[in-house]
Amino acid sequence: MLKWYDEKGEFTDVVISSRVRLARNLKKYPFSTRLSKEGAASLVEEVNNKLGDGAGEDGKLLACRLDAMDEFERTAMVERHVLSPLIAEKKQAAGLLISENEAVCVLVNEADHLRIQGLSGGMNIKKAFARAEQVDNMAGKAMEFAYDEKYGYLTSCPTNVGTGMRASYMMFLPALGAAGKINRLADEVGKYGAALRGMYGEGTEGTANIYQISNQKTLGSSEEDIIENLNNIALQVIFQERKRREYVLMNNFDVIEDQIYRSYGVLKYTRQIGTKDAMTLLAQIKLGFDAGILKSEEPVNIFHMMMDVQPFNLQCRLGKNAGSRKRDKARAAYLNQSLPRLV
Amino acid sequence: MLCDKCHKREAKVYYTEIVNGEKKEQYLCEECAAQYTSFQIEKTGVDSGLGSLLSNILSSYYGEKKNVPEKTEKVLACPTCGITYEEMLNAGKFGCADCYRSFGGIIDKTLRQIQGADTHVGKAPAGFCTGGKEQKKKPEETLPDRIDKLSFQLQQAVEQEEFEEAARLRDEIRDLKKEAARNA
Ligand SMILES: [Zn+2]
Ligand SMILES: [Zn+2]
Repeated sequence: MLKWYDEKGEFTDVVISSRVRLARNLKKYPFSTRLSKEGAASLVEEVNNKLGDGAGEDGKLLACRLDAMDEFERTAMVERHVLSPLIAEKKQAAGLLISENEAVCVLVNEADHLRIQGLSGGMNIKKAFARAEQVDNMAGKAMEFAYDEKYGYLTSCPTNVGTGMRASYMMFLPALGAAGKINRLADEVGKYGAALRGMYGEGTEGTANIYQISNQKTLGSSEEDIIENLNNIALQVIFQERKRREYVLMNNFDVIEDQIYRSYGVLKYTRQIGTKDAMTLLAQIKLGFDAGILKSEEPVNIFHMMMDVQPFNLQCRLGKNAGSRKRDKARAAYLNQSLPRLV
Repeated sequence: MLCDKCHKREAKVYYTEIVNGEKKEQYLCEECAAQYTSFQIEKTGVDSGLGSLLSNILSSYYGEKKNVPEKTEKVLACPTCGITYEEMLNAGKFGCADCYRSFGGIIDKTLRQIQGADTHVGKAPAGFCTGGKEQKKKPEETLPDRIDKLSFQLQQAVEQEEFEEAARLRDEIRDLKKEAARNA
């Protein structure tokens, strides 16, 4: 089964992926802040029993034991955007159910009892929503959600109440980033009810010019309206980024072309490299492919490579005791090998 | 219905106070409720999370009341999970599903500030029937259950400023409590 991040989507030059997250709570348990250790354990068990092995279009939902994973593996899954930092550090029982193609996952006992997440490649939030909703419907039949006629889905934090929905696009904005326009863009989208954040959420400044844009409000608009509003904003951002790229390429083509080829050359032959440098150069290479400057006959998925070079993902492949030196060498070797051959 | 404390303004907040382990119920106006609750809002500026956002919103709603006598433990708490208003403010999080109804009209105001709305539009769980009171028949209601339910309705009535209904419910609760005391 094709993994979601290898799917073809629309506007992939700017939109890397689409994600919808639904926050849900079960009526019979108190919210996470008031949940006892025993309550947490029984919550995780109940959800695993009710949803585990449930089959949908994305394959079976497999229940993973988070407490059986070590810190490295959990952090690696945060880097791959499967786990949230919050659940990775949770001391209580917590769970993860994930579909075979990794397109749908359910975090159990995060800030809310359930965080149902649907993902899709490129700009396709409707598909991401359909994926999340399928599991939401399945869960809603199997368990009673905390729902109020007036307030909608009740969540532990009032910023999520109502639809409980956070829809987001992961966007690649190298031209706007290079032009120093991200802060202004963040202000602008804020006026229309969206938030712009770094790749790994709050507080991470744009790693490799990758940003998340998501709806801020969850109450008072339907799921469809939230998505439509976010789409309108995202299309504006895409338009601005493309216009900026066009402008930069037109006026500075030789310089940009040189930068892109140099980045490729470095990553193809480097012998050791840190995460940050690798990300910066991969971003250049992605821009190169998107702009048609670099071409390859092999399939290209730079974003996939960006996840693979994160420290804990490497660490998991290398074993626990590999130090940063060894990781930097492994990162280089991986990149030397994985970069597609140019034509 | 008038406030139990000042007997001047309309009561809007259902307020539970625990003094020396004894529970006391009162129906207060916003001003008196604000004086009672011990909001010690620390303006540290370090934690700029939602907790402080909520605190700021709610403190501006109630007005800053810093000089609260700390002699007795005074608690505005959710009857289901027991989280106090202050704990909820500090965490920026609710304790259980019932909290949304337990703290009354303040919640609507807060939601309007955070979300720009106080009412859900959109999806409902498949089994949820709107409006209909066709809930499953429960086994015979016990007296404490009945009192809890009426208290909840009372709170709703107060919030919606249906004071005649509130007064009626209040009397009914008092009668039931007397009855409960006789049975005990
Ligand atoms: Zn008063
Ligand atoms: Zn509660």
